[in-house]
Order: sequence, then structure tokens, then C-alpha cells
Amino acid sequence: MTDLAVDVLIGAGLLALAWQTIIGKSLFRGIVLFVVFGLTMALAWARMGAPDLALAEAAIGAGVTGALMLVAFRRLVRIRPEQSAQPALRRSRLALPVAVLAGSLVAVIGLAVVAVERDPAVAGQAVAQALTDSGLGNPITGVLLLYRNLDTLLEVAVLLAAFLAARTVFGEDEARSPTPSRREVPLVGALLAIIVPLTILIATHLLLAGSREPGGAFQAGAVLAASGVLLVLAGRLQPAAGLSSWPALGLTLGLMLFSLIGLAVMAFGAPLLALPGLWAVYLIETAMMLSIAMTLVLLFAGASGLRRGSP
Amino acid sequence: MTEALLAALVFLPLLGACLLLLAPSSWRATILLAVTVPLPFCLLPLTLLIADAGLFEMTLAGHPAPLGIRWRLDALSLLILWLNVSLMILVGLAAGARFAPASDVGLRFWPLWLLLAGGIHALLLSADLFNLYVTLELVTLAGIGLIATGGSGAALRAAMRYLLLALMASLLYLLGVGLVYAEAGTLDLYQLGETLEPGLLPATALVLMLAGLLVKSAIFPLHAWLPAAHGNAPGPVSAMLSAIVVKVSLYIIWRLWFWTAGDWQLPAPGLLLGLLGAGAILYGSALALVQKRLKMVVAYSTVAQLGYLMLIFPLSGLLAWQAASYHLIAHGLAKAALFVAAGNILASLGSDRLRRLAGLDQRLPMDVFALALASVSLMGLPPSGGFVGKWLFLRAAYEQNAWGWMALVALGGLLAAAYLFRVLALTCFHPRSHGHSTRLREPPTLASLAGLLLALAAIALGFASAPILALLEAAWPGAMTP
Repeated sequence: MTDLAVDVLIGAGLLALAWQTIIGKSLFRGIVLFVVFGLTMALAWARMGAPDLALAEAAIGAGVTGALMLVAFRRLVRIRPEQSAQPALRRSRLALPVAVLAGSLVAVIGLAVVAVERDPAVAGQAVAQALTDSGLGNPITGVLLLYRNLDTLLEVAVLLAAFLAARTVFGEDEARSPTPSRREVPLVGALLAIIVPLTILIATHLLLAGSREPGGAFQAGAVLAASGVLLVLAGRLQPAAGLSSWPALGLTLGLMLFSLIGLAVMAFGAPLLALPGLWAVYLIETAMMLSIAMTLVLLFAGASGLRRGSP
Repeated sequence: MTEALLAALVFLPLLGACLLLLAPSSWRATILLAVTVPLPFCLLPLTLLIADAGLFEMTLAGHPAPLGIRWRLDALSLLILWLNVSLMILVGLAAGARFAPASDVGLRFWPLWLLLAGGIHALLLSADLFNLYVTLELVTLAGIGLIATGGSGAALRAAMRYLLLALMASLLYLLGVGLVYAEAGTLDLYQLGETLEPGLLPATALVLMLAGLLVKSAIFPLHAWLPAAHGNAPGPVSAMLSAIVVKVSLYIIWRLWFWTAGDWQLPAPGLLLGLLGAGAILYGSALALVQKRLKMVVAYSTVAQLGYLMLIFPLSGLLAWQAASYHLIAHGLAKAALFVAAGNILASLGSDRLRRLAGLDQRLPMDVFALALASVSLMGLPPSGGFVGKWLFLRAAYEQNAWGWMALVALGGLLAAAYLFRVLALTCFHPRSHGHSTRLREPPTLASLAGLLLALAAIALGFASAPILALLEAAWPGAMTP
């Protein structure tokens, strides 16, 4: 009974938050509500027994996306102050057709899903069987890095493409910090000294735990990115123009290492991308975590590079 | 060995993109050559293999489907791979003239270019619905980035619009994939073909996936994003987008339709898809006739020509299959030539307004010649690749007594002739007053040459039809012959 009540509460909360996000009086309010929506969604995933998704939703869906939206909002305030103050909702001729379309889509899918009998998930059973031989405890990590690792490899390439696409619109000449905080706020240094190591610790834990429990490179990368975002916000890292070598290495490390290991095993007669052992899984996940974190921090900074800022 | 060749097709471009970001600027041209030049040599032995065996499958990571992912190469994917590699080389020549690899703008352009190529290769090889989704995302995002390298406000707006629509389309497709998995417990395209039975849930899933893919292929009436995106991107980018990027999502539709849902009897939905194609041909051609800018004419022509690729659904049969595949390749080459030539004209005139083109045949003879040759193929005049495709369509329609489709193919050719001759006539029009002839920046010879080579390839395809059609015949899923 309590379970049902919690579920209903979360479901109703999600709907209300989604509605409020869309009709928000101002863009800023909409962004904040979107972050709250993401966190509630993470709760919903956790309730549905998908802790990996919950972690990813909280770290990426709410955290990183929210931070990126806020940065975009700051830019909007700077270049179009009048537009940022306007209500986010403008009447569109498309609103009604889109609403009808979305509504009917939900109805049709709902009907179709109700009709589905819980078939034996062939691939799911195969994962459960194969996992016992692999030494991994988390089936999600097994799928992502052992069984369907081409998907993961290409996802890393997608992330790189997304960053490069965003980079085409960065103004290289006017690379500037999201918060050019010139004056030092007391206690920022002390706060960073606590939070940054702690974040790195949590990211590493998520990465290592990913082999047995919920977690993995994507969640760890997002958490690691949070410490980078903090450093950028505090002015310890400044956006820099031009793609310098170590950010470039960070961006490409995951894709390169994954591809090279995946190709190298072919020389020993193994099939393409058949990872030679758990050490390869950990190595690739670490590289992917670094790449993901670097991509997200650079996207947040809106620049192709970072340089050390004045403390 | 064959596995290594397939791996090279996907991983050479991906690793090349990484190296471009890391290496000093003076090495970039070498890296580009080093990852592009081997590609045709990878395809040669694969072609011999497919001509011989018809099919090659490989299991990735040593886990067979349904647990893992398969790559599968047949004549259709092989032909489109050839198309992409040819475009990478020839359009790449034109792009190299505009985006010098060692320059700053080159660093923005070329990594995306290689990621696009790697994504297309992975898409053509993949036999897994979810893996296809990831490759589609890679192709789309790289394409959007390439559009944005144009830098103009119009290009950025078009890129943004494309991004939003493409993301929505991806979500529709992904939703369909999720439903399919819930029903069948596997994501392998060909295993699904054996297990998936018609029903409410599979039908919903198929409709969702088709809707998403139709948006990505810009099939009328979901084409709204295409003309702006293709018309405002830099010339070489437009060439790639029109010649191959919109085709690969259509390729997935073919796979779904004729392989996964191959034994479902779907005459009515097939007719509907065919009618969308007819709408595309008529509407795209009509709008191409009234455009004021050269690149917009070419972009609307893409909307129209994509319509032919939908005629395979109502006419389904070996002939229509050969016709559509041939048309896909021929249109890819001809359209790339048109866009490269149009890009050169735009770069040298500073504008591509049609009335500014007067007298251009004397000032930019090579580009206008490329334009004319590519037009010949696009109109479907013999002897060209476009002719073979349209001729096969006509024969397919004739054998099924489908007079309506016959009339449509003929009318589409006439309309194409109308909008292309309108452009050509303007370039050869010499006004009496030469007083206000504008300054002209000669396009780089390499860029003009690339356009010309592409156009010649589109024509030459008309002479090479026998072996290609034989290859395609072997790949046709026989169960579908009506």
C-alpha cells in the first residue's frame, strides 16, 4: 500500500513538474524545474529497479544537462537580455497538433504494451547465462563492455561528434569564462579543497563498483565532470581558445584505447572487440570516464581548451 | 582476413578522426590520406568475395546474436559502401581545396568528416537494430556539425532545426526498437525476420521506426528541414548530405521492410509509402522549378529524387529492387557532382542567385560542364546511371501493368529536365551589356576537377550496369518476389 502511494506520488509529481517546466513563467524557472524533474525521474528509475539508469539520470539528465542549460541561459542574458526575461512559453501553431500526436502516441503504445505477454527475453537470458563466466557481477556492465561493446564504442564516438559539432559554434576569439569571478570569495578555496577530492573519490568508486554493482564509466564520468565544472566556476580553470594537446588527448582517449584494444585482439586470433580480460574492461572504462568528463567540462566551459586560472 | 578488412572500413576513419585532433597541423593532410586511400583497397577483395559468395557475416566480440552484435555484408551494403568511399575521395578533393587540413577551419571540418564516414560504414555493416540507432546518431550529429561549419546564420539555423527534428526522429525509432525487443527478445534484424509475427505490438513498433526514419530521410511530407540544411551547408557538405546521409536511413527502412518484415503481406502500407514517394517527386520538382538560388534548386531536386526510392514498396519485385538500388547510387554520384559544382560557383561568384549565373559557361566552363553532365544523369537521359535506374523502374511498372507508376516515373524525368534546363539555359544566356560583369574568383582547379569526375562517374555508371545488376539480383530476398 505504501509502495503504491509512493509510486503514485512520484508519477503525479513527474507529470506536474513536466507541465510546470513547459509552461514556466520564465526560462530560468523552466531550467530549474527541469533539473528537479530529472532528479524525480531518477527516483522513479530507482523505484522501477533500474539503479544504473537512476544514477545516470541524476548525474547526466539532471546534473550535467542542467548545468549546460544554465550556462546557455547566462549567455542568453548577456547577448539578448530582453529575450531571457520573456516567458518561455510562446504560442505556437504547432502546439495543438504536436500535443494530439504525442497523446495518441502514448495511447497507442500503452495499448500495445498492455497487449504484450511477458515473453522470455531471449537476449536477457543469454546475458544472465554468459555473465557467470565473465567474472563481472553487473549485467549492465557486461552488456556495455563485453557483449554489445560496439554500441558503447560508437556511443563514445557519438559523444566526440557532439562535442566537435558544438565546437563549430564556439566563438574562439571570445573564449571567456562562464563566471569571470575576478574577486576571490572567502572559503571558495577551502570548499574546493574538500569537494574536488571527494568527487574524484566518488567517481572512482562508481567506476570500480560498476563491475559488480550499479555504476560505470558514464556515471563516473559525469560525476568527475562535476568537479571540473566546479573548478571552471571558481575560475581555477579558464576556457582557452584553440585545441591544445592535453584536452585533445582527454577527448579522444576513450575512443582510441577502446578501438586499439578491440583491434589488437584480432592479431591474436580473437574476434574483433573480444576483450582479453577484466583488466581490459577496467582500462577502457577508465579511459572512457576521462573522455566523458573532459567532453562535458569543455562543453560547459564552451571552449576547446582549458588553462590554469589564477587562484 | 575478411574480418580485418571490415574492421578497417569502420576503424580507420574513427581512429583518423582522433589522430587529426592530436597531431600537429602539418601532419593532418598525411593522416587524412593515410586513412582514406586504403578504403577502396579494402573494398576490392570484399567485392570479389561478395560476387562469389553473396554474403559475409561476422560476429563481434565473440558473442553471437541475440547476445551480441553481428556485422553482415551483402551486395546492397557493398554498393553503398562503394558509393561512400568514392564520395569520400572525390568530394574530399573538393573539400580539401576549401578546408585546408592544416588550417584552423580544417581542424573543425575533417574530424567530423571522418566520424561521418566511420558512422556510415558501421551503419551499412550492422545487423542489429539498436546498433543501427547508435550509428544513425553518429551520422546525424557529424552531419549537423558539418552543416554548422558553414558558419553563416542561415547555416546555423538550418543545423539547429535539423538537430531538433533528427533527435525527435531518433527517439521515435528508439521507441520502436524498445517495443520490438519487448516482443521478440532479440535485436538482430535477420533473426527478427524469422521470429517476429505480424501483430499489434510489432506493427506499432514498425510504424514508429518507419516514422523516425522517414523524417531522417526527408521523405515528403517530412522533408521540411532538408532544403534549408542542404541549401545552406558548405558545398562539399551538401554533397555528402544529399548523396548519402539521407539515403542510409532509407537503407534501414528497406532492411526493415524486406528482411525483418519480409514475409508480412503489406500491400496497403506499401502503396501508401509509394504515394509518399509520388508526392515527393511532384512536390519537390515543382518547388525546384520556382527556386531563385542554384543550391536550393539542387536541394529540392533531392527531395524529388528521394521519392523514386520509395517506389520500391508498391512495385516490390526484383526489377524494382534493382531499379531503386541503381537509382540510389546514380543519384548519389550525380547529386554530389551538382552540389560540388554549385558550391564552386557560389564560392567564385559570392552568390548563387540564378540570374547572376548568366554567361557563366564561358567564365567557369569546367563547373558548368560538370553541372550539365550531372543533370543528364539526373534527368535520366541515356547513356547514364540515372537512365538505367529510371528505365528499370519503367520496366518494373510495365511488367506489373502499373500504368500510374509508369506515368509518374516519366513525368518525374520530364520535370527534372525542366528544372535543370532552366538552370543550364541561364548559364548559357549572354546578355548584351557586359558592363556590369562582376568580379570572379576562380575556384581551385582541384575542386572543379572533383565535380567533373563525379559527374563523369555518374555517366559512366550507365555503362557498368550488367555486373552491378547481377550482384543486386543475388542479394534480393527471394521470398519477396510477388
